[in-house]
Amino acid sequence: MPTALPLPLQTVWLIPVYGFAGMVLSLPWATGWIKRNGPRPAAYLNLLITLVAVVHGSIVIGEVLELGPQHLSFGWFQVADLDLRIGFDLSLINLAALELVTFMSFICQVFALGYLDKEWALARFYGLVGFFEGAMSGVVLSSNLFMSYFLLEMLTLSTYLLVGFWYAQPLVITAARDAFLTKRVGDVLLLMGVVCLSAWAGSMEFTDLYAWSAQHKLAPLTSNLLGLALIAGPMGKCAQFPMHLWLDEAMEGPNPASILRNSVVVTCGALVLIKLMPLLQQAPLATTVLLSVGAVSAIGGALVAIAQVDLKRACSYLTTSYLGLVFIAIALQQPAIAILMLLAHGLAKALLFMSVGSVIATTNCQDITELGGMASRMPATTLAFLVGSAGLVGFLPLGCYWCYGIIVESIKATSPLMAAVFIITNFLTALNLTRLFRSVFMGKSMPKTRRTPEVNWLMALPMVSLSVIVVLLPWIMALLDPIPGINSFSLPVAALVFSSGLIGLVSGSLLHLDSFWSRSRTQSLRVLQDLLALDFYTPDIYRSTIVAFVAGLARLANWFDQAVVNGFVNGIGRLSLITAEGLRQGVSGQLQSYVLTLIVAIILLLTVVQFWYS
Amino acid sequence: MTLTLLLLIPFLGALGLSLWPRTLCEVVARRTAIVLLIIQLLLSLRVIFLFDSTDGGMQLQEGLYWLSSLGLDYRLGIDGLSLPLVLINAVLTLVAAIVSRSISQRPRLYFCLLLVISGAVNGAFLSQNLLLFFLFYELELIPLWLLISVWGGSNRAYAATKFLIFTAVSGMLILGAFLGLAFATGSVDFSLTPVTTLQLSMGGQILLLSALLIGFGIKVPLFPFHTWLPDAHTEASTPVSVLLAGVLLKLGTYGILRFGMGLFPEAWSVLAPGLAIWAAISVLYGSLAAIAQVDMKRMVAYSSVGHMGYVLLAAAAATPVSLLGSVFQMVSHGLISALLFMLVGVVYKATGTRNLDVLRGLLNPERGLPLTGSLMILGVMASAGLPGMAGFISEFLLFRGSIEKFPIATLLSMVGSALTAVYFLLLVNRAFFGRLAVTPVDPNSGPLDIRIPASTLVEQLPSLMLAGSVVFIGLWPTSLASITESATNSMAQLMSTLSIVLPIGVTP
Repeated sequence: MPTALPLPLQTVWLIPVYGFAGMVLSLPWATGWIKRNGPRPAAYLNLLITLVAVVHGSIVIGEVLELGPQHLSFGWFQVADLDLRIGFDLSLINLAALELVTFMSFICQVFALGYLDKEWALARFYGLVGFFEGAMSGVVLSSNLFMSYFLLEMLTLSTYLLVGFWYAQPLVITAARDAFLTKRVGDVLLLMGVVCLSAWAGSMEFTDLYAWSAQHKLAPLTSNLLGLALIAGPMGKCAQFPMHLWLDEAMEGPNPASILRNSVVVTCGALVLIKLMPLLQQAPLATTVLLSVGAVSAIGGALVAIAQVDLKRACSYLTTSYLGLVFIAIALQQPAIAILMLLAHGLAKALLFMSVGSVIATTNCQDITELGGMASRMPATTLAFLVGSAGLVGFLPLGCYWCYGIIVESIKATSPLMAAVFIITNFLTALNLTRLFRSVFMGKSMPKTRRTPEVNWLMALPMVSLSVIVVLLPWIMALLDPIPGINSFSLPVAALVFSSGLIGLVSGSLLHLDSFWSRSRTQSLRVLQDLLALDFYTPDIYRSTIVAFVAGLARLANWFDQAVVNGFVNGIGRLSLITAEGLRQGVSGQLQSYVLTLIVAIILLLTVVQFWYS
Repeated sequence: MTLTLLLLIPFLGALGLSLWPRTLCEVVARRTAIVLLIIQLLLSLRVIFLFDSTDGGMQLQEGLYWLSSLGLDYRLGIDGLSLPLVLINAVLTLVAAIVSRSISQRPRLYFCLLLVISGAVNGAFLSQNLLLFFLFYELELIPLWLLISVWGGSNRAYAATKFLIFTAVSGMLILGAFLGLAFATGSVDFSLTPVTTLQLSMGGQILLLSALLIGFGIKVPLFPFHTWLPDAHTEASTPVSVLLAGVLLKLGTYGILRFGMGLFPEAWSVLAPGLAIWAAISVLYGSLAAIAQVDMKRMVAYSSVGHMGYVLLAAAAATPVSLLGSVFQMVSHGLISALLFMLVGVVYKATGTRNLDVLRGLLNPERGLPLTGSLMILGVMASAGLPGMAGFISEFLLFRGSIEKFPIATLLSMVGSALTAVYFLLLVNRAFFGRLAVTPVDPNSGPLDIRIPASTLVEQLPSLMLAGSVVFIGLWPTSLASITESATNSMAQLMSTLSIVLPIGVTP
């Protein structure tokens, strides 16, 4: 019972509240009530409170190690047959994810102090990050579907506000709009699933839902539709095809938010999917869709990334690609490996984005054709990029190498095709990261990279510390000791992963790079490049299909409203006015004719009544 | 006596204001009205303490014999359905009076009319007699007509007349249904007792119920009877729009729940599937039409058509959860749409336009309207059903309660909820994001930046209060559910017992 638990465990609900409290504490500076001494105090308050969240989380981990997993539940809203609760599932995995979220939030906030040094709306940024962090901490700890949905939707809102942070820029407007609407489509589909489950199963706790789903056989169509609705939410959150276009546009937001989005937000989406997975047992269609979406996202995302000249976008498509692999792992019932993959990816991708952020902060440029030769002057940034890339590719024995190894080993017998997807994606990712490294850090200096001092310590310190963590990750993973152990794969698999990374590295280094490479003069290559650079024309396809459809319906409804509904009403009004005008002309003014009309009418009426009743 | 006081304060206040022998300047009239409305609000809050939330029936009943031979008795009572609406009425009339600044002409008459509306709406929500309800329902009509046609925009004559004719037709249909019920059952007590097939055949019941549904459907408004609403909103001044959207539309849904469902439960369960479809059409139609609007006020008005449609869906399903959701939706729509109309009013006052093709970048922190913009983002997110705010929990209850009975109509309504996000996001993106500019972006002339007078915090206080209450209900829905639940439960129970009886009753 909760009363017997130690205090830090009982008050675990405070951890999400810390984030939201950070938002509330930033308000006086964000709204300009306190103008003296600038907005920095809001940032310090948020840093402090996030640190408290990290410490609280680690104390809870210690206690859970001692007492075993716990489940806390509080009533929130109970009416009739509906009981909505706030539930926390304190398993080690959830708590590890919580620590990842709060720690990454902390480190990004330190980074942001340097990155957004002269930003006038610093307090607003920190308020939004606090909101973001609160929602994410809640999602990873949540033990019920309703609360997960509630907080996922809050994540959508805060993503919208963070992407729209520099709302005066035209590209930001469309980016924020697309980010919100794409995720919202996923969320509404998820809501349909949540509402159905709530009505059918009653309780919203994941464990109760698993039991319900094991006992009740739904009609195949219903369960497939339900499965599709449930996976739509995580698909939108993890930027999977075809709901991926928001993530690269979201790069218009400030970089520290991009770090969080690419590492932990997508992790939250995937964790929710892992929790939903047991509900999809009866929905083979949903599993098939997950597999194909994952495969398409993995390879498509990696290919699109290779054709990008924008540094941030090239990296963000890699996120889509990698999360595609995680989706495959989840769909193939490998949740433990999927969680390891998320951990390895989250840390390495955050490091990569920090490095990208410091390149952008120094040069004010993110077009790789205008960058070059920065390695000699920015050692910490270069190192961070190298370590981050190594952590993402199955080549050196860092995080993702081991993940690729275990997952390929465990699925190669059952689904060799999907194992091939992993290997190909590894190859493409290695190629792309090598290409990016060469164009940004190697080669000769460009006009924009002549004077590039290393970034200040506020940005360098988080970067270096995260580099150390990424290097130490295999050891941490071994400590976590997943089942099967992290090195439990055969030599051929290890060789396969290593060689795919190596081939990617070599072909990346042999690739011909100059500023004209971005758009070839060979017709066939150019068509391919355009196809990939423009993301398979997804924005255009959306614009000409669903956007045009909704806009057309809206115009039709408006026309119908004006012409038919309103026209009918106005027509009746006009008709009655015209009739009145006409009748006015017909009045003679002679009393005799009125009396005659009256008498005739009375006689007619009486005759009718007579006939009726006789 | 408390309920009678809820009527006496506004009515006597209005009488006093209009008969005051000396000239009253605008400030005095406004302050008097505000003081009276604060007293009314406090009294409404007192009703909560007198109210027993475990009792699902009518409470605090009081009455006088008046014209018993006509069946018109003065009988008041309150239950969990009408109490939240009485509170909303008190809050929003007060807010409307507070935001009524610089009334150009006849301030005394203006505030009298506001008070009369508030009293009449209270009367309609509290009446326990059909004819008395009808009297109050009609009584609220004339002041609103005057408020639009005297203090409205440029095309006010058209809009006011349209409103008057539509609502008069609505009143006639309702009166017709009440009288028809009295003649058909042969009793003239006009009380709120449900009729059964023993008293009136199913065909007759359906006929009378249809008249009631169309009558109240005009008021709600539901497609295709909604066309008066966008015009009335566009021409009405901000406080009048707040009242119209926040309070007066609720008379329609209240009428549907109280009289449509309450008087004809058997016919209701026959018509319910059709009503659910009607609701879904209304939701989708309102939302789609809202996407195409360029006038911010028209957009909010069409969104009302969509969001009030949810209430009909929930009423059709008539489960305990859905009925509770319908009350939640009435309250949250009242608060949210009032908030949105006030914010649009601020924008209009500052820039002189509401055209989304013209406004740009109003969120600008130095020369724009940052606080208004932030509240607007909160308001539209609440309206789109983002969790943590009143809109979400209302929609969740509605959908959760209705999906088992009418899955298709519920899913379609949820699509309407997604469309809400589309049009309101467009509103925020167009008017508030981007670079500040109020003239059309013309390549020849270029955008002309303007200086917008900064709005003070005091002016925004009512909006802040409304936004606060939207978040409050969103985070702590039990506060509202605790006063409503027993009433909606007993309504749902009535429906379920009668629909079990139904198979026998259907055969004529």
